[in-house]
Amino acid sequence: MKTKAGIVVCAIVVAVLAALPWYGNSVMVQFGISVLLLATLAQGWNIIGGYTGYASFGNSVFYGLGAYGVAIAMVQLKLPFWVGMLLGLGLAVVFAALLGLAVLRLRGHYFAIATLGLAFIMTAIVSNLEIAGRNIGLVLPLLKSDLLFYELALALLVLATLTVFWLSRSRFGLGLIAIRENEEGAAVMGVNTTLYKVLAFMLSAAFSGLAGGIYAYYITFIDPVGVFDVALNVKMIIMAVFGGPGSVLGPVVGAFVLSTISEVLATKVTSFASMFFGVVIVIAVVFMPRGLADFAERFRRLRLRYFAENVRAHRL
Amino acid sequence: MSASPNILDVRNATKRFHGLVAVRDVSFHLGRGEILGLIGPNGAGKTTLVGMVNGTLAPTSGDILFDGASVRSLPAFRRAHLGIGRTFQVMKPFPGMSVLENASIGALFGAKGGERNLRKAREQARESLQFVGLGRRIGQRADALGGPDRKRLELAKALAMQPRLLLLDEVMAGLNHVEIEEVIEDIRKVRERGISILVIEHVMKAITSLADRTFVLHHGEKIVEGPTDEVLRDPRVVEAYLGKKR
Amino acid sequence: MSAATAPHPDPLPASAKREPSVREAGEGNALLHVAGLDAGYGEMQVLRKVSLDVRAAEIVAMVGGNGAGKTTLLRAISRLIPSRGKIDFNGRPLAHATADDVFAMGLVQVPEGRQLFDRMSVEENLRMGAYRRRDADGIAQDLERMYAIFPKLAERRHQLAGSMSGGEQQMCAMARALMARPRLMMVDEMSLGLAPVIVDLLLETMTKIRNEGVTVLLVEQDVHAALSVADRGYVMETGEIVREGSARALESDPEVQRAYLGDVTGAT
Repeated sequence: MKTKAGIVVCAIVVAVLAALPWYGNSVMVQFGISVLLLATLAQGWNIIGGYTGYASFGNSVFYGLGAYGVAIAMVQLKLPFWVGMLLGLGLAVVFAALLGLAVLRLRGHYFAIATLGLAFIMTAIVSNLEIAGRNIGLVLPLLKSDLLFYELALALLVLATLTVFWLSRSRFGLGLIAIRENEEGAAVMGVNTTLYKVLAFMLSAAFSGLAGGIYAYYITFIDPVGVFDVALNVKMIIMAVFGGPGSVLGPVVGAFVLSTISEVLATKVTSFASMFFGVVIVIAVVFMPRGLADFAERFRRLRLRYFAENVRAHRL
Repeated sequence: MSASPNILDVRNATKRFHGLVAVRDVSFHLGRGEILGLIGPNGAGKTTLVGMVNGTLAPTSGDILFDGASVRSLPAFRRAHLGIGRTFQVMKPFPGMSVLENASIGALFGAKGGERNLRKAREQARESLQFVGLGRRIGQRADALGGPDRKRLELAKALAMQPRLLLLDEVMAGLNHVEIEEVIEDIRKVRERGISILVIEHVMKAITSLADRTFVLHHGEKIVEGPTDEVLRDPRVVEAYLGKKR
Repeated sequence: MSAATAPHPDPLPASAKREPSVREAGEGNALLHVAGLDAGYGEMQVLRKVSLDVRAAEIVAMVGGNGAGKTTLLRAISRLIPSRGKIDFNGRPLAHATADDVFAMGLVQVPEGRQLFDRMSVEENLRMGAYRRRDADGIAQDLERMYAIFPKLAERRHQLAGSMSGGEQQMCAMARALMARPRLMMVDEMSLGLAPVIVDLLLETMTKIRNEGVTVLLVEQDVHAALSVADRGYVMETGEIVREGSARALESDPEVQRAYLGDVTGAT
């Protein structure tokens, strides 16, 4: 699906986005930062949820750990930002490894539920940790440079997308897809499913953690409830699934499209914004359950039958 | 290589599920390059027994020796690396992947950990697909295949792993006479490559055409073993299938 | 509705007496007439030109090895899977009927593996069999009839169906089917996993049921068990009928063994 032309187009898009702070206003830059971070989260979730087929509700926890890593490093340990990022990354990845070994043996729904409980557990634990500032939270040193955060977020998204691109054509990635399509079948063909699932989870956590780190420094204040937010996880899932889970660009496009719709609705149609947003999601799930990526690929061939087939498929 | 003449040695394998004994004290061996038949009426425990060989199930007691070394505590994926391949009665394709990708998984992760190079793996996969007659369908999605083609894919995936031992669990089910002959021919060719095969079947034509030796499972126990045509005429086997005369 | 007040079970259930004219019609008075049936799953064709007849108040055995297509045949008749060819039940074609229609017409299947409602009691399972009926008195009377035919079930009427032994579960499954007052009951692999003693008991019951006017199509792997109670039989192999005849004739027919175990001479 990715041709040379496609890569060139993406490079152009990235360049255009990178140049935004110079032709856009400050509101757009701030909107951009939040969309870019969201897109990174969606892409990170894509690795464990889209490619491996394990719908994780724990990625917001890794995001929070990344945020706290940076916050603790900078506020309590007086270390520079990039060290904080490493600390946040480390926390997220190690936690993912331990958690993964414990819950990745659970099937589908149970895995989702187990990771869902995590957000609440994390909030409770961190609220009682002195070093994390308890439930009051931490206030980070102020850096007044949206430009820096914007470019950092963009760089992270590009890294995440390149990683997923590599995944889609690597032996590791094919192994993950095999796990998603038929885990037992994958195991009997020689895929070390436990190892692969844990690695995918760790990779996914890495991007969530790094995104959280950037967010913490950008927003200057974090507290447990704000940063271990399950709603954030739900958002990243919706964006990844709307865009096309298991595809390279789907989650990114999903994040951009949905954020824009959400923003436009919020400013123009304020009172019914949430309702319209919900309607958009429902329509998407019914008519395009495999996301925009699948739509783009198969609509050309099937035209309107695409929608009919999807609706009929739901009957099974 | 080990000095053992048998590629597979199953010793006193027993499998218990919550008080129900599905397989009781079954022992058998498969010589290198041999085709061994396994038959028995519905519910006899054949699939359970095979599951213990490829690692899908852990034996309650007894041992499984592959190439002279015990594998009973190895997980399924490690046994795949050692060279044990299997097809399933209830097939396990990767529906969202293409036919080529399906077989590629076998090449990428199969014997000896599989092929690391994607291109070489695809070649291996293509070869297996051509062997079973799916050469024209490599680009199609696996879930778009019809019944007989799905069976072919199941076989191709196992072959792409380059196994040394192939466990075929009812590959002939649902095929018509012509298709049965084709698959019998394919299995003969597989043996010619030096692969040892265990064939579980209800289609007796396949057993008589392919298996030199056959053993019979009934209510989880091995009741008869020997040259195929002798086994099929054995009154105990007839009774196992047709029931006791009343 | 004189049947409802009869002192002992009516030889023919009331539903059978509703349409005598339709009963007269149909090929050679067969209750179930199947001709040239092709059926399968997607592209995989399992049944090839299958033809059979089941006449009222007889027990017909359908035997053959695993994979011969017996269960597929029942599924096609019950309209659980699509098929090509003719299926007439009680003179009415089933080609466009749904599984619901088939059940309403009195053609009931006791599926392989029982498929009981494990977490419901025996009595609840039996009542589920009478789900579509509106005659509370008739249902109550039939319940008692079931308990008379299957005393073991009477003992366990409030026990959870899933906690009973295999044989008892099979009885429950058959009783549940009978609660629907079927004209034709199709039983799939009744003997699977059951001890011979239990199978004998169930076969006896089958005869009792037939004597009450219910026609039975018995699909079985255990040839001798099936033929010991059947009037006639068919042998299936690789989706085709390869032999038919009276139960006595089939019992000693070498073709039956060949259908299961291949040619004894070794010739392929």
